[in-house]
This record gives sequence, structure tokens and C-alpha cells, in this order.
Amino acid sequence: METYLYTALFAPLVGSLFAALFADKPKNLVTGIATSTLLLVSWISSVVLLLHVAHGEEVHVKLMDWIHAGGLVIPFGFVVDQVTATMMFVVTTVSTVVHVYSIGYMDHDKSFNRFFAWLSAFVFSMMVLVMSDNFAGLFIGWEGVGLCSWALIGFWYHKESASWAANEAFIMNRIADLGMLIGIFLVYWNFGSLQYDVVFEQVADKEHGLLMMVTAFLFIGAMGKSAQFPLHTWLADAMEGPTPVSALIHAATMVTAGVYLVIRANPLYSAVPEVSLFVASLGAFVAMFAASMALVNRDLKRIIAYSTLSQLGYMFVAAGVGAYWVALFHLMTHAFFKALLFLGAGNVMHAMDDELDIFKMGGLAKKMQWTMVLMTIASVALAGIYPLAGFFSKDKILEAAFASDHYILWTVLWITAGLTAFYSFRLVMLVFFGEERYKIFGFHPHEAYRFMLWALAPLAVLAVIAGFFEHNFVHMIEHILPIEEHHISALTFWTLIVVTQAIALGGIGFAVYKYSKGGFSKKWEETFVYQLLFNQYYIPKIYDEYICKPYGELSKIFWKDLDLKVVDATVDFIATTIYKSGMVSRVVQSGNLSNMLRWMGVGLLILLLAAIFYSPVR
Amino acid sequence: MITLSHYLILSAILFGIGLVGVYRRKNLLLLLFSTEILLNAVNIGFAAISKFYGDLTGQMFAFFIVAVAASEVAVGLGLMIVWYKRRGTLDIDTMQSMHG
Amino acid sequence: MDHILSVLVFFPAIAGLLGFVVSKESIRAYGLSVAAIEFLLSLWLWLSFDGSYPGFQFVEVLPLIPSFGINYYLGVDGISLFIVVLSTFITLIGLIALNVEKDLKNMIISLLFLEMTMVGVFVALDAIVFYVFWELSLVPMLYIIGAWGGNLRIYAAIKFFLYTFAGSLIMLVGMLVMAYLYYQATGVWSFSITEWHRLILPENYQIWLFVAFFIGLAIKVPMFPFHTWLPYAHGQAPTIGSVILAAVLLKMGTYGLVRLPLPMFPDASVYMIYPVAILSLIMIIYTAMVAYAQEDMKQVIAYSSISHMGVIVLGTFAMNPEGIAGSVFFMLSHGIVSGALFMLVGVIYDRRHTKLMSEFGGLAHVMPRYGTIMGIMVMASVGLPLTMSFVGEFLSLAGFYQVSHTMTILAGTSIILGAVYMLSLYKKSFFGEVTKEENKNLKDLNGKESMALWTLVLVTVWLGVYPKPVLEPINTSVESLVSFMHKKAITKEAKEVIKPKVIEREAE
Repeated sequence: METYLYTALFAPLVGSLFAALFADKPKNLVTGIATSTLLLVSWISSVVLLLHVAHGEEVHVKLMDWIHAGGLVIPFGFVVDQVTATMMFVVTTVSTVVHVYSIGYMDHDKSFNRFFAWLSAFVFSMMVLVMSDNFAGLFIGWEGVGLCSWALIGFWYHKESASWAANEAFIMNRIADLGMLIGIFLVYWNFGSLQYDVVFEQVADKEHGLLMMVTAFLFIGAMGKSAQFPLHTWLADAMEGPTPVSALIHAATMVTAGVYLVIRANPLYSAVPEVSLFVASLGAFVAMFAASMALVNRDLKRIIAYSTLSQLGYMFVAAGVGAYWVALFHLMTHAFFKALLFLGAGNVMHAMDDELDIFKMGGLAKKMQWTMVLMTIASVALAGIYPLAGFFSKDKILEAAFASDHYILWTVLWITAGLTAFYSFRLVMLVFFGEERYKIFGFHPHEAYRFMLWALAPLAVLAVIAGFFEHNFVHMIEHILPIEEHHISALTFWTLIVVTQAIALGGIGFAVYKYSKGGFSKKWEETFVYQLLFNQYYIPKIYDEYICKPYGELSKIFWKDLDLKVVDATVDFIATTIYKSGMVSRVVQSGNLSNMLRWMGVGLLILLLAAIFYSPVR
Repeated sequence: MITLSHYLILSAILFGIGLVGVYRRKNLLLLLFSTEILLNAVNIGFAAISKFYGDLTGQMFAFFIVAVAASEVAVGLGLMIVWYKRRGTLDIDTMQSMHG
Repeated sequence: MDHILSVLVFFPAIAGLLGFVVSKESIRAYGLSVAAIEFLLSLWLWLSFDGSYPGFQFVEVLPLIPSFGINYYLGVDGISLFIVVLSTFITLIGLIALNVEKDLKNMIISLLFLEMTMVGVFVALDAIVFYVFWELSLVPMLYIIGAWGGNLRIYAAIKFFLYTFAGSLIMLVGMLVMAYLYYQATGVWSFSITEWHRLILPENYQIWLFVAFFIGLAIKVPMFPFHTWLPYAHGQAPTIGSVILAAVLLKMGTYGLVRLPLPMFPDASVYMIYPVAILSLIMIIYTAMVAYAQEDMKQVIAYSSISHMGVIVLGTFAMNPEGIAGSVFFMLSHGIVSGALFMLVGVIYDRRHTKLMSEFGGLAHVMPRYGTIMGIMVMASVGLPLTMSFVGEFLSLAGFYQVSHTMTILAGTSIILGAVYMLSLYKKSFFGEVTKEENKNLKDLNGKESMALWTLVLVTVWLGVYPKPVLEPINTSVESLVSFMHKKAITKEAKEVIKPKVIEREAE
């Protein structure tokens, strides 16, 4: 099994290094094919591992020692248990699809090879993140995916907005990483090790306050990576990257790393209900907050990005109320349908010459039948309609929230489910149906390459059927995660399902009805609520105005006024004082004999007086 | 009776005269003379104290100083003549090549 | 090879003297081969070094002034060994990438002399020998900045010289007092640092001496508020000068902290943790902000150097093996990474004769290989895992966490602020469209530059992934240093704060 583990882990790295060799050469199809093949190999290994661990075994290996100083021993150790195997399956599945898809999508890009190098490097980092058996290894992957995300968001670096967004994402993540690092320090100094198993064993003996600190700081790290409020602004801006990147990194895998962390550290989190409640509340807040912004946005990719944010909120609610396996399950199904949605959006963008404004599209269904079908499947899954994958996982989250007596959370999520259904179908309606507005703007849309559509097929299938594997999943995951028994009656259970389905269907129905009639009136766009939502609650503006700008100004002041005019000037002042005292006393050395004689006389006098007054012999 | 004090007073007076000369005179030649007076004032002191203690070291030193003074005058006068030939003056305020 | 250390110290100097008679055409090859031999010698030193023995090895003692106990006393332990290797390595790399036309011969001879003084400082175990090399190192640097520098070179060179010189005089006074106290306590004169380590002084004496040593070392580090000579020196120095200044000369200060005040005055060191830590924090955050405001690429890196040195000082004052080993490792990684960054700025300066970021933009497009290496080094500088800097930064901060929770959080902002100024540098100069006409036909890296820079990249990544060969000997020596300090400490607070390995090894 070790061989499979190392294959799964290192195949993407090999692919990445191979593609990197050609990074500054013109497009070479081999790089795309080689990396995709290696990812397929990685996927096969992951599946083998998944089947192997499904019955409760786990694979644990140690490659070598990494850092050893004082009492701190960090090995490169990897563990594949049920959680890891699930993550590996999700990551390799989506990334294999994305790789194949990208061969078509990046067809005309002159940096084709560089793209694949970074994409595979990302997969490697993500694998390190999920497979590592200690917090430091997790942190390697954590920063590694951050780096790849930076490089891929800024892939078209000649665009100012892209390189800006890349830096924003990296720096935001770094803020959170500091929290995570502090969490790691706390773990080390109090648990004496960074190995998961060693740490989790000791949870019961530790003070509550300490555990609170640890979980809170680790969660700050998770908030950055999973773009939770208030560190969420980078995710929408990250849409500057190529669409396959958005699908892989900013929807299916990297942003779920925060959720993974909470699931992984579940022994810690279940010991501190306060922090868990905070996690759940923040998750619910973000779910609604992001969904509300998605309602009015006009940018194809940003709408999907906000929906990702919103779904991440759902996952945190599940993790926060203790239903870790549900969080993981939703993470998985979400990865499939959200990647599908993004890649479908990529087809649309290609067809529309990278136009993103959904109000310039419409009626594309005729030209892009298959893309329409795929995106509709994904949207239905996202809305959580039976029998698609989204229904099973999302419904479980609502159920878990309700069953653990968090009725407010449940209500928030329930409303959000309606909003989700509405904005998903608003998007579908505006892009694929209705008036063919694109003709006004002179676009000539066309369907994507056939193989790109085929590449999406696995995701579409998974988005449809993944939910039916719920029982197998529970059976597997119960070896490692707690499966709580809900004490709700069958009546409540069915009522909840019906109510949820009703609001989702209602949202869809409302969207279809409204947008088949031409949408909302112009007046709506002038209202305060619309403006507030459209400007993302003015948060990016606030950050820019009250954090970035003052920081820049303060830096300038520190440099020009403090460093040069105070600190350095003091040093120069001391130097010039000494210099000036020399200038003043240089007249002594005038070279005039009579002057010198006078000084000699004075000196003689002083010496004589000294001899008289301080003479040892009187 | 002429005692040691008288000699020392004479020495001090001569020294004072020499010192005033060194300070007040602007002519290099006279400066040199004043130096000679200073040296001789010291000589008198040495000789007197030597006699008083009956120790010949002082008189030896006086001779030594006489010799030094003589050579100094020889070298000094030579230099001064060269200087005078070049500059036509021996005023010490004009002898300033450093400008502090 | 019993006298390997003497050979290491004096070989470059003698070769430098002989360099005067080498013809102009072959001086470059000559310099390179001398530096290469020196580097191989230092590698040999590393290979024959026993990593499991914590004390000094290859010790040489030769009486110089026996009546005052001044000896020619050399030796290396795990802490100094790698800084010696770093010095010879950086000199070699610097010479490979050297791109000076004017007075090449003088430059190479100065570099060889500089190499002697650098190696000398790190292997000296006698305070006077240490001091002599310490001061001598100023001379070649003064000459390098003053003769090959930019417009303000004379001002910068004199500032550099006088500032550090003034500091080290204070340290000299400290050394003399220390020797006198030693004489009073034992009746024998000695300037041997290892002997001084054994002397236990009352706390008030310790504090005064600590301050004297600390000022001398702090100016070299350079710690806030004594840092202002550094931006000028870097701004004016030629590329090679900046590389060596940042990579090795600054390390003299932090190395000195580990070698002198810490084991000599453990109680005073503990007493002074908070003042020193506050200075370091100011240094980390304040200079990181100043770096962000810079318009000149080289100044950004110069200020970033100061900021990172703050983390090193902080790690040193963690008083536990994690922190000190981390800070020693960070010295090495900072040497490699900042050396590489200065070299990279030199590359573009040679081509465009300007370092202003506003003059560039889109360089990644014109010079992809240059952009790649710069990208790697920028990432190494912000402390990405699997690069050398991460290991050092992580351990330093982890170590200091034991001393203070809040201060570590504040110091940790260096990973955020570092990303802010480094990425904005990269964005301003490498991303975006190529706007200036002059930039459109810039040549990518040439052979020499590629060779030098790729070597540095390799080392950065190798020691980031597998730091063990370096970290292990460092750790051995540091652990014994810390337990020595713990034993030596006389006050209760110091005993509590200095923590020899508290957590037993697990996960073996």
C-alpha cells in the first residue's frame, strides 16, 4: 500500500516538474497529456487506497525526518485514513477532469506549459495538505496551495487586476496563516508534539482554556483558506484566474482545506463547544451573507464564487454542530457539482470571448446545448433538489442543525437554501434562455471541443449519483469520525425534507418565472438594498480605504519622516556635532607662532598648577 | 651674604624676562635671544642648587644645556639667515603656512 | 590537517597578496580558483567535523602575549561551522557572478582579504583575535563601497565605517573590563572566550557588560535604532558588496550575540529579554513597513534584511534550543536568500543602470528565467515552507513563543508584512505590461549569472526540504550551550527562563 501512497502523492509532482522544464518554451501538447496521465495514475492509486481503507484500516508511513531542533521533531509522515482517502479521491477526481479540460481550455494560450506545471504543483501541495500526519506537514501543504493559487490567479500577469488579485489572495491567506502558526506553536508547547495521533490522545487531560485557544487560532487559519468573513474578499477577486483554476482551486479543493482542518482536528473541536458554536454561527452567517451578494451580481464567475462561499458556510455549520461526517460529505458532493458548474461557465466564457457579464448573454441554449445540460444539472444539484447529490448532503446539514437544537442556524440555512436555488437559476436563465442579447454586442458563440464536454461527464455523473453512496460513506467514515444519532421523529424528519424542498423549488420557480419575463425592473437597481449587495456591502471599499491606504501612508511617513528625519538625522546630528566641534577648535592649530606660544604658556600654567595642587609630595 | 635664595630669585627674574620676551617679541631673532635668556636662567638655577647640595650633577647639566644652546643658536641662526634671504622679514606673524 | 582553521583563515589573505603580481587578464580565473579552493577546504572542514560532539573542534592555540593571556586561539563548533562555510560559499558565488570591469584586480584582492577577516571572526575564540578580525573586516568593505559604489559612496562608506567602528569600541571596552574582572577573580589574565564563559559574575556587573557588548553587536546586526547605516551602505555598494554585507557581515552581529553575551552573561540576558525583544519587534514591524514604502528595489531588500534580522535576534533570545538553533539556521538561510536577492537586483541594475521599480514592469515577460528565480527567492524570503527560510523562521518564532505569547503574535506579522512588501515589489517590477521601451529588449540571464543563482536556488530548496545535515550539528551545539547557560545562571528567574530541552523526543 505504501507504493500506492507514494504514487498518489508524487505523481503530480513529477508531472509538475516535467511541465516546468518546458515553462518558457512555446506550447507543447505533451506537457498537458503527461500531467493529465500522471494525475490519472494518482487517481487510480487514490481509489485503490480508498477501497483499502474503507474497512477501517489505515496506512501510515514516515518518509524521513524534516526538522529536528531541541524537543521539536517533525517528520515527513503521511497517513491515509478514511478522511484522507475521501479527500484524496475528491482532489484527484476533480483535478484529473480539470487537467483534461484545460488541454482544450488553454489551447490558444502561449503559456500552456507553465499552466500545467503550476496546476500539477497545486495538486501535489493539496495532496501534502490532506495526507500529512502532523500539523507542520499540513502547514507545508497549506502554504503550498497558497503559493500555487497566487501563481494561478496571477497567471495572466500582464493584467493589472490579475496580479493585484493574486497578491490580495496571498496576503489575506497569510494573515490567517499567522493564526494557524500560532495555533501550531500552542500545540507544540502544550502537547509536546505536532503529530495528530499524539495530540488527539492528550485532549482529555488538557485545560479547557488552552483547548479554546488552540482551536480558535487554528480556526483563524481555516477562515483565511476557506474565505470566511472577514477574510472573504479575496475569493471573489480570485476569479481573475483562468476558469479551470477557479474550478479546481477556488471551488472544489483549496477553499475546502479549512473545512478539512476542522474535520481533521475534530477531537479538539468537539472538546470545546464554545468555539464549535462560533464556527457554526460564522458558517451560517457567511452562507446567507454570500448568497445575498450572489443574488444581484452580474459577473458569471463571481456569482459562482459567492455560491462557493455560501456552501463553505454550510460545511462549517455541519462541522460546528458536530456532524463532521456531514461536512465531509457535503465537501465531496459540492466539489463535484461546483467544479462542473465552473467548467461549464468556462465553456460559456470561451464561447463569449471571455465576456463575463451575464446580462450580455441569454439564449445560449441553442448554440451550446450540452453545456446548458451540464450546467443545469450542476445548478439543480447546488439547489439541493432530490435526487441529485446536493440534496443528500445539504439536507443532512439542515437536519443536523435542527436536531442539535440550533433552530436559528436552521432557519438561516433554510432561507439560504431558497436564495441558493434562486440565484443558481437566475444565472441559468440569464445565460441560456430568454432574449439573445449577445447578438447586440456582436458575439459569435460556439460549443466547446467535444473532448472537453466528455471530460465533464464524470463530474456530471457524480453530481447526479454521489448522494446515493451516503450509506457506504457513513459505513466507511464511522471508523474515524463520530456518527451521532439524531433523536427526531420520523414526522419531523419528513417535514424538514418537505419544507426544504419546497423553498428550493420555490426559489427555482420564482427565478424561472421572473427571468422568463425579462427580470426585474430598472427601479430595483436604484434601491439601497441592491446597491449594498451589488457593492458587496462596501467591504472591499472599506478595506481599501481604512486598511490598505492608511498602511501605505503610514509606511511613507515612517520612511520619510521617521526613519530619515528622526532616526537617521539623530545619528547624523551626533556626527555633525563632532565635526562642528572640530571646526570650532581648529583655530587652535592656526600655525601662528605667537598663538602657539600663548597656548604653550597656558598649558605650562595648567601643568604647574596641577603639579602644585595634586603633588603627592608636599 | 648671598644665599641660595638670591641666586634663585635672580634665576626667576631672568626667566621672567625671557618669558616676556618670548611672548612679546615678534621678531624671530629676538625670540631666539629670549630663549637663550630662558636657558641661562635655568642654568643659574642648576649651578646654584648644585653648589648648595654639593652635587655635581647640576653643574654637569648646566654645561650640557650650554652645549645644546650653542648648537641651537648655530642651527637657528643659519635657518634664520636662509629665511631672511627668502622672505626679507623675520616677523613671526608672517610665518604661517597652516590655515587652521 | 591539524591546522585547517589557520589555513582557512590565512590562505585567502596570502593568495590575495600574491594576487598583486598576477597579470590583469588572469586575475579573474585566479580569484575564482582561490575562492573555490577555500570553499572546498571549508567543505572538507564540514565533512571531517564530528556533528555529535557539542564542543569546539580543530582547536589551535598559540601564545601571542602570554603575560596578558592573549593567545592565537581558534576553534569551531556546530554554531560557527556553517557560518564559515556560508562565508566561503557566498564569496565563491559572488566571484562567479562578479560583473565589475573597473579595477577588477583590486576588487578581487579586496574580496580575498574580506574573506580572511570573515572566516577569522567566526573561528576566533580569543577575544582579541576576534576583535582584530572584526575590525579588519571593515577595511575591505570600506574600500569596496568607497571605490565601486554609487553617487553617495563616500558618505555611505564613511557612515558604515564610523558607525560600526564606534560600536565596536564600546564592545572593546567591555572586553577589557571583562578581562580585568577575570584577572581579579582568578589572578590570571585571559582573553579566551571559552575561559570567560566559565566566569560567573554578579548580576549588576553582568548587566553593564551585557549592555557594552550588546551595543557593539547591535550596531552590526543592525538593530533598531542603530540601523540607518545599512540602507545607505546597501544603496551605494556595488552588487558584490551588498551580497557579502547582507549575507555574512550582518551575521557577525547575531553570531556574536550567541557566542559572547548569552553564555557569558546568562542572567543579564534573561534580565534584558524584554527590552531586546521590544527592539526586535520594532525592528520587524517598523522596517517591514518602511520597506513597503521604498521606491528602489535594492532598498526594499535592504530594509527586509533588517526586518528578518529582527526575527533572528528574537530567536536568539528565546533561550531554548528550538529558538537558538532556529535563529542560527535562519542566519544561514538569510545569508543565502538575501545574498541571492541582492544579486538578482544587481542583474537588472547592470542592464538598466537603475533600480527604481517604477522603471520596470512586465519583466517576467521579457526575462522569464530571471523572473522565475526572482519568484523563487521572493517566496523564500517570505518564508514559504520547503525553503530554507521557513525552517529558520518557524523555529525562531516557535522558540520565542515559550517566552511570550503576545510578542510572538506581533513578531509573526513579519510573515504577513514580508509578503506585502515582497509581493508588491514583484508585482511592480515583474507583472503587468512592458511599458518602457528600454525594457523590451533586455537580455535574460547569462551563463555566469544563471550558474551562480541556480546554485543558490538549489541550496535554498535542498536545505528547506532536508535541513538535517546542517540543523543537526547546530542543534547539538545549541543544546549544550543552553544547558550550560541553565547551569551557569545564578538568579532564579534566569533558571526558569532558560529552558534546556524540556520536551523529550517523541515520534522516534
